[in-house]
Amino acid sequence: MENDIILEFKNVTKRFPGVVALNDVSFKIRRGEIHGICGENGAGKSTLMKILSGVYPKNTYEGSVLYNGEELMLGEQAIQEAGSKGIAIVYQELTLVPTMSVGENVYLGREPLERGAIDWNKLYADTRGILEKYQLDVPPQAMVKSLGVGKMQMVEIAKALSEDAKVLILDEPTSALSEAEIDKLMDILKSLKNNGITCIYITHKLEELFRITDKITVMRDGKEIVTKPTVEFTQESLVSYMVGREMKERFPKAKRSPGEVIFKVENLKALDPNDASRGILNGVSFEVRKGEILGIAGLMGAGRTELVMTLFGEYARIVDGKITLNGKDIRPTSARQAINAGLSLVPEDRKGMGLILIQSILKNISLPNLDQFSGFFRIDADAELKASLIQSKSLTIKAPSLESTVETLSGGNQQKVVISKWLLSKPSVLIMDDPTRGIDVGAKYEIYKLMNELAENGVAIIMISSDLEEVLGMSDRVMVMCRGHSTETLPVAEATVERVMTLATGVSSDEKLMKAN
Amino acid sequence: MDTTNQTLKKEGFLSELYGVLRLNIQTYTILLALIGIWGIFFFTTGGTYLASQNVSNLFRQMSVTAFLAAGMVLVIVIGGIDLSVGKLAGFVSVVAAYFQAHIWFEYLPDQPLLAAALTVVVSLLVGALFGALQGYIIAYLRVPSFIVTLGGQWLLNGLILLVTAGKTIPANQPWFSDIAQGYVPATWGWVLGLVAIAFLFWSMFNSRQSKRKHGFALRNIYIDLLATGFAALIILIYVYNVNSYKGIQNPVLLLAATAMIMIYLANNTRFGRYAYAIGGNREAARLSGINIPWMTFSIFVLMGFLSGVGGIVLASYVGYGTIAAGAGYELDAIASCILGGTSTLGGIGTIQGAMIGALIIASLSTGLQMMNVAPAWQYVLKAIVLVLAVLADVYFKKKG
Repeated sequence: MENDIILEFKNVTKRFPGVVALNDVSFKIRRGEIHGICGENGAGKSTLMKILSGVYPKNTYEGSVLYNGEELMLGEQAIQEAGSKGIAIVYQELTLVPTMSVGENVYLGREPLERGAIDWNKLYADTRGILEKYQLDVPPQAMVKSLGVGKMQMVEIAKALSEDAKVLILDEPTSALSEAEIDKLMDILKSLKNNGITCIYITHKLEELFRITDKITVMRDGKEIVTKPTVEFTQESLVSYMVGREMKERFPKAKRSPGEVIFKVENLKALDPNDASRGILNGVSFEVRKGEILGIAGLMGAGRTELVMTLFGEYARIVDGKITLNGKDIRPTSARQAINAGLSLVPEDRKGMGLILIQSILKNISLPNLDQFSGFFRIDADAELKASLIQSKSLTIKAPSLESTVETLSGGNQQKVVISKWLLSKPSVLIMDDPTRGIDVGAKYEIYKLMNELAENGVAIIMISSDLEEVLGMSDRVMVMCRGHSTETLPVAEATVERVMTLATGVSSDEKLMKAN
Repeated sequence: MDTTNQTLKKEGFLSELYGVLRLNIQTYTILLALIGIWGIFFFTTGGTYLASQNVSNLFRQMSVTAFLAAGMVLVIVIGGIDLSVGKLAGFVSVVAAYFQAHIWFEYLPDQPLLAAALTVVVSLLVGALFGALQGYIIAYLRVPSFIVTLGGQWLLNGLILLVTAGKTIPANQPWFSDIAQGYVPATWGWVLGLVAIAFLFWSMFNSRQSKRKHGFALRNIYIDLLATGFAALIILIYVYNVNSYKGIQNPVLLLAATAMIMIYLANNTRFGRYAYAIGGNREAARLSGINIPWMTFSIFVLMGFLSGVGGIVLASYVGYGTIAAGAGYELDAIASCILGGTSTLGGIGTIQGAMIGALIIASLSTGLQMMNVAPAWQYVLKAIVLVLAVLADVYFKKKG
């Protein structure tokens, strides 16, 4: 059994224009084991799984993948081929049709037929068979949208297993689950293992890795760093494998002298707008000073974006807590109120939430600020142009003219348009959610310089980033979030990568819990 | 930016003209289509199609649809639809007739002017209130506009039957009839035409002035002069043409004023800007602090108000309110918007375009009627033109 290898990666390299997503990755996965893969955002985990599941077919990458000792040749219909070979994947974002029943979802596209018509009895009987075999507690005829996230995940798993999967890949399966649902998932994984199914478990939650996996592969910057049995890791060693890189001079230096506290959030609590039984923010407290950059670190699903969207009045309903801005209590219930109070938000999804792509740079910049240039009726076109021109020049937006539509701009210039539009509203607090995502290095540097300048001019900046280096490189203090609450706020001098990762993965709070017990 | 200006100057007048034409190909496609349609009918009717009496009728015929289309543009721009406008205009026309024939006739028998004015006020109120009702359900109770306004259409149908009790009601009091049947005296027609032309040139120079002040590239002055001159020429020909019959019709004048106000509203006010932002990207608009429900509500109220205007013109023009009033007008209005370049996906569309679209539809109808084409084939030809126009638009967009 020791050498019963079901999957082997041999020198796999995957390049995208300008980026090497996977760099010479080699490791083996043994049959019947639960194999964990962990690493920071962007380490290459998802790319690796997309090769396995056929999203990237054979000739789009270098190196080879051996499945049961044979080269995995996935061609034109790669995704279906991977499925028929017994490789199934459960994605982080669920891919069910909410308006169909559990059984319909499990057999979607493969409905059993009886003389050309769907054999509903067989479909539901087969679904029940699979659900019972793996002790998945879901009624086959229930409508998917009526289920909670945890049960939906079970349906995803059942769907994968119905195709007779030998290898089941779970990509961040617990990011949306409650503690009890996670426990249930762990039980299911154990029962799969007993049935001889190999699981690849991708996560950055260390606790789960130690709880369930037999082996762990750590990835970083597209490379495989180490693969060894779980028992040979400690939490500390795992963290250092994950983050172990040096900081380079990526960030412009700045001398800042933060002033008085301008924005303060105390014990903020809010409920998930889609599921009022679940707390999305479970006690967040922090403060920001004038001229300071506060970084918010945390893993995917820790509630960072939810926090800033809620502060901006556009996400969850606040049930408890206090928000103070410029000495006044505020509780915005719409973006307009937040803007008027002095907040600005550069949102996470530039194209989806930040810009109106089919409109001109000018119209995008002035949109939230039209009240500055207009009475009830007329927009003063001259004043609008003047103000937008000043903004676009000071941010060096490169475009033929302000009349150019923003969809024609590069990512970096688009982001500058978003920032321009929010600076024009003269905010006291500027919130930036992943401001450098998907833009090139040069544009990143310009945005960092701009942030420094703004801070020097007394703007308080709150920055979220999925890039931990960026948080540590730019912030004066770092607040770490974990599972919807703020754990600790560290001065940047004390915020080492290890320390932040430990707080973000919730290790320390688990230790506290253990001590309390 | 100065450098681009200079290179353009070097390339010369013709190539810049070509560039401008290419850039606005969509606008010109629809204009060319209109001219083509007129040309065809001119020859097939032996010239009577463009005779002054017919041109006069053509513009009056488009007017009711055009009032509806002017509001419909904004409704579609924010990603909605309004299927009730035809029947709403019909209902308003019936209400106007009812007040004329039954209420004012009894209480104000000797005051036709006051009666007409009160009729107008009541009609506009009915339109706006019905728009407000639908707008409230769509914006705040979040029922899709397609459903709400389809229901609205049915409801209005019922209301029309209730008010008319199945009979035709006359609406032909002196002052009220003049709203849509009257003409502007020839001298005043010329004055209005010249004022409009002066305004066109003034706004062109004004816009150049403002662009120069901020260092933007200016188009070749001759191109601007050519474009404005062309528009001025059309106004002159129109005024000359209708004046040789009876003059500019009141409803056309009213339509021109409404269209100008709507164009201004769409381009120069926060209200207009917010509407296009909502259609362009709802999420970004929301995060920019735009009150989407309020905007949606307001636009449906405006739509209702304009349906009211359309209803008054309809009642005044035909001289009575009938149970069939306004049937199918909503689809003509929607088609006008689409022909004029309004995107069904929202975010894009102009009032000007919709006006030309309405003119095309009216031109087709009147032309085919004059040629005595059987109704069946009228429908077939209108269908072909509608789909071809949108097809051409899709084709040019892909190329551009």
